[in-house]
Amino acid sequence: MAEKKNPLGKFAPGDAPSYESVLQCMRCGFCLPTCPTFSLTGRERSSPRGRVALARAVHDGDLDFTRVLKEESFFCLDCRACTTACPSGVKAGEVMEVCRSQAHSHFPQGHIGQSFRKFILEKMLPSPDLLETSMLPTRLYQRLGIQWLVRNSSVLKLAPNWMEKAAGMLPKLEAPLRPQLAELTPARGEKRGRVGFFLGCIMTLMYPGVSRQTVRVLAHQGFDVVTPRQTKCCGAPHLNEGDRETARQMASFNLDLFMQQDVDYIVTDCAGCGASLKEYEELLEKREDHARLKQFRAKVRDINEFLFEVGLRSEGLKEIRATVTYHEPCHLCHAQQVSRQPRELIKAIPGVELREMNESSWCCGSAATWGLKFSEASQQVLDRKLQNVAETNAEHLVTANPGCHIQLAWGLKQAGMKQDVLHLMELLGQATPD
Amino acid sequence: MLSQSTIDQLIDKFGRNNVITEKEDLLTLGYDSTPGLMHLPDIAVYPTSTEQVQFAMEVARNEGLPIVTRGSGTGLSGGSVPVTGGMVLCLNRMNKILEIDEENLTATCEAGVVTLDLFNAVAKKGLFYPPDPGSQKISTLGGNVMENAGGLRGLKYGVTRDYVMALKCVLPDGSIIETGGKSVKDVAGYSFKDLLVGSEGTLGVITEVTVSLIPPPQAKKTMLAYFDTMPAAGNAVSKIIAAKIIPATLEIMDKATINCVEDYVSIGLPRQMAALLLIEVDGHPAVVEEEAAAVEKVMQEAGAAEFHIARDAEEAAGLAAARRTALSALARVSPTTLLEDATVPRSKLADTFAEIERLTEKFALKVGTFGHAGDGNIHPTVLCDERDDDEMQRAHAFYDELYEKVLAWGGTVSGEHGIGVAKREYLAKQIGPAGVAVMRRIKNSFDPQGILNPGKIITKEG
Repeated sequence: MAEKKNPLGKFAPGDAPSYESVLQCMRCGFCLPTCPTFSLTGRERSSPRGRVALARAVHDGDLDFTRVLKEESFFCLDCRACTTACPSGVKAGEVMEVCRSQAHSHFPQGHIGQSFRKFILEKMLPSPDLLETSMLPTRLYQRLGIQWLVRNSSVLKLAPNWMEKAAGMLPKLEAPLRPQLAELTPARGEKRGRVGFFLGCIMTLMYPGVSRQTVRVLAHQGFDVVTPRQTKCCGAPHLNEGDRETARQMASFNLDLFMQQDVDYIVTDCAGCGASLKEYEELLEKREDHARLKQFRAKVRDINEFLFEVGLRSEGLKEIRATVTYHEPCHLCHAQQVSRQPRELIKAIPGVELREMNESSWCCGSAATWGLKFSEASQQVLDRKLQNVAETNAEHLVTANPGCHIQLAWGLKQAGMKQDVLHLMELLGQATPD
Repeated sequence: MLSQSTIDQLIDKFGRNNVITEKEDLLTLGYDSTPGLMHLPDIAVYPTSTEQVQFAMEVARNEGLPIVTRGSGTGLSGGSVPVTGGMVLCLNRMNKILEIDEENLTATCEAGVVTLDLFNAVAKKGLFYPPDPGSQKISTLGGNVMENAGGLRGLKYGVTRDYVMALKCVLPDGSIIETGGKSVKDVAGYSFKDLLVGSEGTLGVITEVTVSLIPPPQAKKTMLAYFDTMPAAGNAVSKIIAAKIIPATLEIMDKATINCVEDYVSIGLPRQMAALLLIEVDGHPAVVEEEAAAVEKVMQEAGAAEFHIARDAEEAAGLAAARRTALSALARVSPTTLLEDATVPRSKLADTFAEIERLTEKFALKVGTFGHAGDGNIHPTVLCDERDDDEMQRAHAFYDELYEKVLAWGGTVSGEHGIGVAKREYLAKQIGPAGVAVMRRIKNSFDPQGILNPGKIITKEG
C-alpha cells in the first residue's frame, strides 16, 4: 500500500485531523443545503464539503495551512448540521474544530489583546447590591480560561463592534447559582435514582434561574441531585477556540470528579456542555483508560434526553395555557442527535401547544463567539431564525442551550417581537408544583 | 497564466465576488462526486445572466482557456471536473425560476436552479416535475440536463430528457441558439435539444431550461419485498415487468447497502436479508389498489421471504429518502467508493447479479450493489481504498470484465451518470469506431476549437 511520506502532510505536529476523517468524504454534496455559511456565501470553500477538501489538500501536501484555512476553520459555525446530513459519517465540524488548533500553530500570536479582558472585568459588572456577584467577572474570566482567549485575540479577530454588541446581549446578571446550590438536593416522592448534575459555567453565571429549575424538576421527578461544587468548565469554549490542551485538562478533572460520585447518570441542562462531555471519550482517548471513558460516556445525558428516557412523571403537573415554538440547539440536535425528546416533553406539559417552526434545526447564529467575530453574518443567520419564529405566532420561544438563549433573546428584543425565550426546564419548572 | 488585465476585465463585468482566483477556492471547484478526480482550474467565474456567460466565454476563447461548466458538482463521471484546467463556469448563482406556465404545463428556469426547488415550486401549484436524481436536493437543472439525469421514478416517468421542452444555449463562438419551445410537437429540423441533452457541457453552455410538467398522481402505495439472494430479487423484478405492471419506483439494495443505509437512517431495514426491493405504484386510487395487489402476488410467486406495505406517506417518504442515501452511506465502509452505472435489458437482471457476485469473489473485493432495478440500471459499488494500488487494479479489472458481459447482453455502460472522463474507454467499446467518429464530427461542428469541456466523453484521436 502506498504510504504517505509525511503522515500529517502539511499540518503542524500536534492535534490535526486524521487522514481517514477527511478521506471519508465522497463529496456527494448532501451537506451543502444544510450549511448556514454556504447558504450565506454560496462559496464552495465555505461549505462542509469544501472545507474537508481543503483539509485533505493540506494532508496530501497540495496546500499549505494558509490564512484561508484559518479563516474557514473559524468561519465554520461548528453547528454540526452537516454531520446530521452526511450519510458517509464525515464530521466536517470536528475537522474544522481541530483545524482551529492548527491555526494557532501556523499563525504566530500577536500582542496581548486587552480588550476582551477589559470587557469581562469592566463591562460585565453585576448589580452592585448583590455582594455575592462582585467576583463574577473575575470568576467568569478564570473559569472559562479567558486568559487564553486574550492571549490569542489577534488570531481570533473579533469584529470591530463586538464589545458594544456583547454588552447589549448580556442578560441581567443575578447571583451565581453554584455557591447557593446544595451539593445534594434530595429526591421527592418515590425515588427513582441518583444523578450527578453538571452545572455549566454560563448556566451558573448567566442563567442561575434556569438551572435552579432543572434541579427542582429533577428532584420532583424522583432523583437525588448531586451537584459537585468543584466542577470545572466542560472545555467547550477551549475546543471552540482551538485550545485542545486546556480542554483536555478540564476534561480529565471533570472525569475524575464525576466518576468519584455515586451516581447513575450525569445530567446537564446546557447543550454545549452535554455535547462536550459526550466527546470526552475521543478527546481523552490517548490519556485516559478506555473502559473508564466508556463508563463515563454511558452516563452522560442532556436533561431532555434523560427525562424522556426515564419517562416524565406528569401526574400533578400544573396546566400552562400557552403556545410555544421550539428552537433546536445545534449542540443538542446535531451534536447529540437529541431532537424528538424535547418535543415530547413539551407536549407532555398539560395545556401547552407546540407550534413547529420551519427550519427548527437551523443554527441561530450564536455559535459561542462566532456571533462576535462575524457580526454581520450572524445577524443574517439570526434574521432567518426570527422570521421562522414570527411565522408560528407562538407566545414563547423554547430552547435548551444558553448560547442560543442569549442570541435569541437579544434578537427578539432588537426586532421588537413579542416572544420571550424560555429554557425548556423553565417551562417544565413552571408546571412543576412546589 | 492569466494576465491581471484579463482578471480585472472579468471583475469589472462580474463583480469581485463572482470572479475566483484564490487557490483555496479553485481547489474546491475542481472536483465533483467522482472518486479520485480533482484538477485545479485557472480561474472560476459565477455569471448571473446569459449575456455574462457569453462574455466569459469570449474571454476564455481569447485566452485559449478551456471552459468547464459546473452546477453543484454532484456528477458521478467527472463531467464538471476541469481535467485540463481552464475556466470553470459556475452556474449555480443563476438560480431563478423564471416562469411556471399553468396553461401550457411548463416551467422555465435558469440553469442553476436546484432540482428539488423546482419540484417544490411546481408542487405548490398542483403540478409535478418527476425526474428525481439521488442528489435532487443539491443538483442543478442545468447539470441534470447536461448529464441527462435519471432518478427513482425513471421506470414509469422517464428521465430528464423526457421533460426538456426547450433550451437556451450559448455556443463556443458566442452565438445563442434557442431550441424547442412550449409546443408539444416539434419536428422542425434536427433536434438540437436532444443533441444537447446529455452532452455533458461539450457542445454548448445551457443557461435556460424549459421543462414540461404533469399532474401529480392522486394516490400511491409503497411496498417492500425481501429476498434471500440477489438473483432471486432480480428475477422478481423481471416478473413484475413481465406481468405488465409499471411501478413508479422499483429499487434494489443488497445486504451491504441495506446495512450501511440502516447505520445512517435507523428505520428498521432488515439487516439480515440478502436483497430488498422498494416498490412504489402510483396513479388513480383504484389502479393503485389493483397494481399493489398484483405486485404482492408476483412477489409471493417469485419467492419473497417477506412482503410489507408502508403504513403511511411518512414511512414511504422515509424509505425513498433512505434509498437516496445509498451511495453516500456505502462510503461509510471504506475511504473510496468506486461506483458504476451498468444497465441491462431487464430480462438479464438475475444474470447480472449473479455475474457481480462471481466477479466479486474472483477479484476478492467488497462490493455493495443497489440501483434502479426496474430500469435494469444498477450501481455495483466497489468499497475500496485508493491508497491500495493492488486493490484499485482489481477493482478496475472487475468493472472491465463486468462491462464485457453487460455489452454482450445488449446493455449500456451508463444508464444515467454519463461518460465524463471515467467511462470513455467503455463508451468506445459500446459504440465502436464508427460511432466515435460521428460523435467527434458532431463535437467539431459545435466546437471547432475544442474549448468546451475537453477530454470528456470521446477518447482522444489516434
